Order: sequence, then C-alpha cells, then structure tokens
Amino acid sequence: MSSPNKMPFFKDAYHMSGAQRRVGAAAPASAVDGRVDSNGTAPVSLGVLTVFGVVVLIAGGILGGAGRFFDYRTMFRAGYERIPAPGEGDAQPPPKAALASYMARGAKIYAAKCIVCHGPEAKGDGINFPALAGSTWATGETQRFAMIILNGLQGPISNGKSYGAGMPSQAAGLTPEDVAGVMTYVRNNFGNNTGDIVTVAMAKAALEISAARAKAGQQVTAAELTADHRKALPGPPLDPTALVNPITLTPVRTSAPASAAPKP
Amino acid sequence: MSLRTFILGLSASFGVAWLAIIVIPFFMMRDIAPIALSLSKDGAAGVFFPKRTGRIADGASVYAANGCYLCHSQVIRPTYAGHDLYRPDWGGLKNDAERGDTRRETNAYDFGGETFAQLGVMRIGPDLSNLGRRVEALHAAGKDPAAWLYAHLFNPRDNPQLWQSTCPPHRFLFDRREIKGRPSADALRIDAGADHEWVPTADAKALVSYLLSLKKDHKPPAALDFSPHKPKEAP
Amino acid sequence: MSSTQSSSTDQDALLQAAIDRSLRYPVMFFLTSGAAWLALALLLGVIASAKVHNPEFLGNWACLTYGRVFPAHINALVYGWGMQAAFAVILWLMARHSGRKCPDAVMILTAGHVWNLGVALGSAGILAGNGTGMPWMEFPSYIWPVLLGSYCVIVMGSFNQFRIHPQGRVAIPQWYIFAALIWFPWIFSTANLLLHCLPGHPVMAAGINAWYKSALVFLVFTPVALGAAYDLAAQVTGRPVSSDALAKLGFWSLAVIAPWAGMQKLAGAPVPYFLPYVGAAAAALLFIPICAAAINTVRMMWPCRKTFIAHPTLQFITAGITSLMVIAVTSVVLYLPDSTLPLTQFSWSGYGFDILALYGFFSLVMFGATYFIVPRVAGRAWLSNKLVQVHFLFSVYGMITICWVALFGGFQQGMSQENWQLPWIGVSAVTNPYAVAITFAWCLMLFSNVFFCLHLILMWRSPDRLRAHHAPGEPAPAIPDHTAEHIY
Repeated sequence: MSSPNKMPFFKDAYHMSGAQRRVGAAAPASAVDGRVDSNGTAPVSLGVLTVFGVVVLIAGGILGGAGRFFDYRTMFRAGYERIPAPGEGDAQPPPKAALASYMARGAKIYAAKCIVCHGPEAKGDGINFPALAGSTWATGETQRFAMIILNGLQGPISNGKSYGAGMPSQAAGLTPEDVAGVMTYVRNNFGNNTGDIVTVAMAKAALEISAARAKAGQQVTAAELTADHRKALPGPPLDPTALVNPITLTPVRTSAPASAAPKP
Repeated sequence: MSLRTFILGLSASFGVAWLAIIVIPFFMMRDIAPIALSLSKDGAAGVFFPKRTGRIADGASVYAANGCYLCHSQVIRPTYAGHDLYRPDWGGLKNDAERGDTRRETNAYDFGGETFAQLGVMRIGPDLSNLGRRVEALHAAGKDPAAWLYAHLFNPRDNPQLWQSTCPPHRFLFDRREIKGRPSADALRIDAGADHEWVPTADAKALVSYLLSLKKDHKPPAALDFSPHKPKEAP
Repeated sequence: MSSTQSSSTDQDALLQAAIDRSLRYPVMFFLTSGAAWLALALLLGVIASAKVHNPEFLGNWACLTYGRVFPAHINALVYGWGMQAAFAVILWLMARHSGRKCPDAVMILTAGHVWNLGVALGSAGILAGNGTGMPWMEFPSYIWPVLLGSYCVIVMGSFNQFRIHPQGRVAIPQWYIFAALIWFPWIFSTANLLLHCLPGHPVMAAGINAWYKSALVFLVFTPVALGAAYDLAAQVTGRPVSSDALAKLGFWSLAVIAPWAGMQKLAGAPVPYFLPYVGAAAAALLFIPICAAAINTVRMMWPCRKTFIAHPTLQFITAGITSLMVIAVTSVVLYLPDSTLPLTQFSWSGYGFDILALYGFFSLVMFGATYFIVPRVAGRAWLSNKLVQVHFLFSVYGMITICWVALFGGFQQGMSQENWQLPWIGVSAVTNPYAVAITFAWCLMLFSNVFFCLHLILMWRSPDRLRAHHAPGEPAPAIPDHTAEHIY
C-alpha cells in the first residue's frame, strides 16, 4: 500500500502488467521497474556476526605485531637482529692469525695511500719524503705514530730535517681497522720489527685522542709529539698468533678458551 | 541520519585516517634527521650519508618512464619480512674481498637524490638495490660494467646465461648510426651491419649511470646495524 | 488500486521517464566512451601480458615496450573506463533518487569531453615515454588538474541534487554514491599534491601511492558499484533491502576501515613500522563491509532467483557480488604479515587482486547497470539477448582465470621467490604460466567487450518507433506483453 511519506515514485504493490498497459507507450522500459521501499528490519544474524568476529580477531592479531602505534620514528621492529639463513649459520670468513691479517690490511692501505710519497720500500726519496724504514717515530710509541698519520706533520722530524710544508693528514676515509692495519704493517715491515700489533681498539682510541687535541685539525709538530704523545695507545695487547676475523680484525672466540680472561 | 551527521561522520572517519597515516608521516619523514656517527660506536665521525655517484635524477626518470619498477624491486626487507637478505648478492655482497659480508637492509637514507622510491610492483626480475655492486663485482668481472649494462638493455637474451629472461629489449634506447672515421668509444659490441654501430642515446647513458649508482651496502651506523656480529661496545 | 493511486503511479513513471530522457546524452556519452576506453585498455592488457611470456612480441616498437604499455593499460582501465562508467551511474542514480532532472547536460558533456581529452593525452604521454613512474598515477603530471577540474564540473549537479527525505531517511544507494563523490576528490588531490607538488621523502611518497591505489578501489569504485548493485537489485526484483542494520553496518564499516588500508605493500620498507601492519589489518577487516553488502544484496535477489535468473542486470550483479565475496576472502588471506604477505608482496597477487576488484566486481556491476540504465535513457530495448549472454559468459570465464592467478599464481611465485637457494632465473620462469593465463583471460574479456561496445553503439539509434506514435492524452494503444522478449 502506498503511503504519502514514501518517496513519490517508489510505490508498493506495483502491478507491472497494469502499469505497462497504462504507461507502456511513453516509457516502456521504466514501466517494469520495481520499487525501492524503506529498508527491511531483519536483524543481523548471529552466524554473520560470528564470522565478522573471527575476522576482527585476525585483524587484531595483525595489529598485535605492529609495535607501538603512531611511533613515526621507528622504521624497524624493536629489538630486531638479523636471523641468519637456516642451514647456513655463521657465514663468517675463516679466521686467520692476527699479525698476518693486520699486515694484509695494512699492505692494502699502504699501497693506496702511503706508497706515493714514501716509496715502495718506505725509504722516501731523501729530499722531500722521509723514510719510514728504520724510523724511530714509526717504531716507537704508538700514540705518537698515530698522531702523525691522522693529523699530518709539520716542521723538523726525528732526525732534525724539515720537509717543506710537511705531511698532510691521512685520516680522511680511514676506518679504525685501516689505521690499525697500516700502523701494524709499517711497524713490522720494511726492516722494522716491533713484533706487536696495533689493535682496532687502540686505533679507535687514537681517533678519539686525535679529535680531542687542543690543535685538532692542524698538523702536529715535533714539540707537541714530544710533549703530549710519547706514550702507547691505550688498549689490551693482542697476541700475534691469535685468530682473528680477517675482515673485521676482531678476535674470534676459540672453542677451548686457553686463557681465563675473556677476549673483548 | 541528517545530512550534517552524514558529512561529519564521513569527514571524521576519513579525516582521522588521512591525518594519521598520510599527512603526519609525510611531513615528519620529510625532515628526517640524519644519524650522527660516533667514533666509539661507528669508528668514524660525521653523519651517515650514503653517497651515490652518478646521474641519479635523470636516470631515475628514465627508469620510471620505461616502467622498470613493474618487474624489478628496490627494497631489501629485514629478515622478519622476507628472505631477501639470504640471497648472496641482493643486499650487498656475501663475500666481498675487502669487507666480507656487506649485505644489509634498505634504510631511509638509501634513496638520496630521488623523489619517488621505486620500491617496485612485482619481482619478475631480481631486486636492483645493489645492481651497481653486482655488475661491477660479478657480471662484468673486471671489464667495463657500463658496457655489460648496455648490452643487457639492448637485448637481455643475448647473454647466454639469461636466455630465459623476460626483460624487454630496449633497442629504442640506442641509435644505429654510421661509423664516421673511428668507431665511437661507447659503441656496443653488437653487429649493426656494415659500417654501422649501435651507440647509446642520452637516455641510455643516464639510465646506466643511475643503475651503476645502485649500491646500498654502505656500512650502516650502529643505530641501523642489525647484524648479529656487530662488535659489542668495549667493556 | 484506486484511480488516484494509478494516476499518481503513472505520474511517477512519467517523471521517471522524463528524468531518464534528460540524462540521455550525458549517460550514453560516458558509457560509450567508457566502453571504448575499456576496449583499448583490454587490448593494451593483452599486449602487455603477452610481452611477459614473449618479450620479443612487437619488440621493436618503443611505445609498446612493456614498461609503457602496462601503465597505459591500467590507467586507461581506471580513468578511461572506470571513472566514466562511475560517472554514468552516479548521474543516473542521483537524479533518480532525488527526483530531479539532469541539471545541465551541456556542461556535463563538455566536461566529459575534457575528461576524455585528459585521459587520451595522459595515455599518449605514457606511451611516448613521459610517464611519472608512480603506479596508477603514471599520467604526466600536468594531467591531474585537468581531470580533477572536469570531475568537479561533472558531479557538481549530482552533488547538489542530493536530498535527504523529510523524514530523514536516505536510500542506501545514495549514501554510497554521495560518499564516493566526497572521497574521490579528497583522495585524488591528496595523492597528486603530495607526490607531484610538495617535496617529501621518497619512500613515504611510495607509501602514499600505495594508499591511493587501495583508496581508489575501496572508497570510489566499490561504493559506486555497491550503490548500483543495491539500487538495481531492488528495482528489478521489487523487494526491499532485507536488513537495514546490516546495510548501515556495511556502509559505516567501509567508511571507517577502508581509509586505513593500502600501506601493506610497504612491509619491510623503511617507513614507520606500524603503518604496513595497520594497512594489513584494515585490508583484512574490509571483509566486514564487503560481506555485509554482499549478504544484503543476495538476500534481495534470492527469493526471485528463478524468475530473474535470465535477467542480464541480475546476472551481472550476481557475478559481481560473487567476485566481491572472493575479494573479501582474498583480502584476509593475502596480506597477513609474517606469513602470506612476504609471499604475495611482489607477485601476481597484487595485480590479480586489483583486476578482481576493478573488473570482477566493479566492471561486472557496471555492465549490469548499463544493461538496466541504457534502455531507460535511450528509450529503446536492447537488440539481442544473445549478444548480452556472450558478453556475460566470456567476462565470467576471464574473471575465473584471473581469480586463479591472484590466489594461486601469486603464492606459487612468492614461494619460489623466498626460496633463496633457487637461482633467480628459475624463479622468473615460474611466472610464465600465470602470464599466459592472464593473456588468455584478457583475450576472453576483449572478445566479450567487442560485443558490449557493438551493442552499446547500436543503442545510439533513435528511440523505438512505438513511442513516437503515441501523443500524451490519447488513450494508450493496447500493447502486447512482450516483457519476456524485450531486454529491459
């Protein structure tokens, strides 16, 4: 039955054939249209609600893994550490003897950075570039040697000679592993034979000491070296025959710890 | 339900989501602060800035216009989101001579120089995050990496190892022209007929420059280093 | 029925007919040009898909390289066909429900031509190599203001027509359509402004693009199709919506949930960690509004199924609603982080899901709407039921194939992708059978669409001669009851 409150052209009890007879000529297609009445009042069935509930639970489970909401600064899962590939375990390179590894790294750095001035035998050229072979500053206290490499050197050197504008700083692009390697290399090659290793920890300390200098950024002078840096770099020593990771130059834990002290 | 209720409800339901997941993160990530490096943790001072050399903006637009993102991705997912890091040459190099295992996840600083990160739609082809690294170290193996890429773009199936590749031939990125005098230095080693050579166009050069700049295995700062072998802080 | 009732019934029907006549040119224009774009999009889809399993196919044409022809296909499908079919349905539904004639057909037609021009320039731009590289937004960056402007002109009239009944009751189709009218410009301008005009972080830009894709599907195409499905099911069967509560739940849950979905595509990328999870949860929750609407519509049609099983509109709507149910389940299953999402994130599942939504649900419902609306606005009956049935069957076959690709192909591909010990060339080979399936599916749908286009173009002919001979006021001549034969 039609009711005046309904939308005017959606009526109930709409006889299609009757309408078609009356209206067919003017609007044949519209004549067969049904009506859209007010919506039914069937309640939402329990089964449907249960299924929706299951979906809500699934979504809740997903949200549970989301970490803190609206934390816009965290891009990775909290506490994430890479899980190694199953079956591969540790894909670490085989450990090598410490001295050999450090020397290998040092050789590369020397060939890249030092060889152009100090020469392939570290003998310099006598006029512009001093020799490192047999140099007391290279084989002496490690902190002094480190400061020269990281900051450059101006003025007279250990033998009293001056070399023009001096040595520029070589710190650019050198990681602590590089510094440790090249220092160890120079100290144990070209006829030098200190027999010790400048470790990565010592190199890191050297970087800090270099940054904390009063005249940080400027070349060191012999006076400053003598006054401030005649000491060994802080850090525990490393046995030259210990096993290290040849890439990171960090000691590798051996399965049977011979020494009681844990390695760093 | 009145019109006012309807509009209010609609605006609220859409507006809250719009603010929370679109507007706010957009403006916050715009000004993402660079990570400061510390000597003790990272062994270097300054700021973490993965440097990319090459024609990044030009090349990225050629990459985008030719739809490379439809088949190639550029995101290395953390291990909780996928197995990308387990492939030996996707996140970096597994056995780099100098640095060992350089593989790492993509981080927010890796898309410098681009306006739209081409994370990719599908992976029909391999991920390209470290393509530059891969081509230089593995595919070109000592020879010119740009030449390898030009040859690949010209027709991927010319490479016998990639005879099944579905990468389209991009011959339109190359000009076939007469050799005038000496052959061009960029010419491809592909037969172009008598007295002719295939030479890359400006688009090809920009694209290859961009592709070779795709090296995203710089050592990450401690805050973004999720390696289980990360050296712990000194006691 | 009393004579007053019958005459007011006649009045209503005549008013309805007058409204339909006023809409003739705008609606027919949008449907015809939309169908033409659909044919082009399907052709480009066949070419694109063929190039995946056969890369040398048409390999010497720069403008047809896969990376250009695929975006052209998707953008033509979305903006050329999808939006224009939506315009036709919006105009017609809003005019009908508000009881007012089409406000300004000339303006709407002009804006429609501008829209077509924009899409044409955009598609040509993509094929020429000026695409922007942002999925679903590959039109060159000068196109989007043109589209937005013509959109506003086209729907302004419908927007103004929206009327709340004095009792405060709004018909369900009106809710959906009106909401879509508000959502589209909001979504479209947000995405385009933030990606083209304001500098932002590149990864967040990719995130907003992923959100835009999902929002366009669930907040523009889905509501328009749902509104049409509700309205047409009611009009053909003459039955009311079975549950008002379910309808309200369906609408408001869509409005609340859908804006949060979309970011699940960025799982594992360097965006704020919770965003992909919120997107995935919202995608799963979309099951609720989709199911609510599907249940309501099916309950409306179910009692009349024997009478109306051959009615083309109901056939298409039923097929569309079935696709909608598949979408609901797929939406829950495809995007579970930590289990299925890593598998489907970069696989055919994304494309399959998009096509399920765009073609399987939206387009099939739009076809049903076309078969209903066009006789009313054009004043003539469809020519042949056989043409309609061919269109229907081949579309359905095509959709079943796409469904299979989305659900199984994506998982297969994903599993071989995640198998890191398999060299990549082997992984790539897994995609090929599904690419062949997609080419096959698009061929079927292109074939079906040829019939659709043909049929639609033939409807442009002048209205049935029957009408012309009857002047108002004269007693209507006896009309034989041909309801069984004519396709109304």
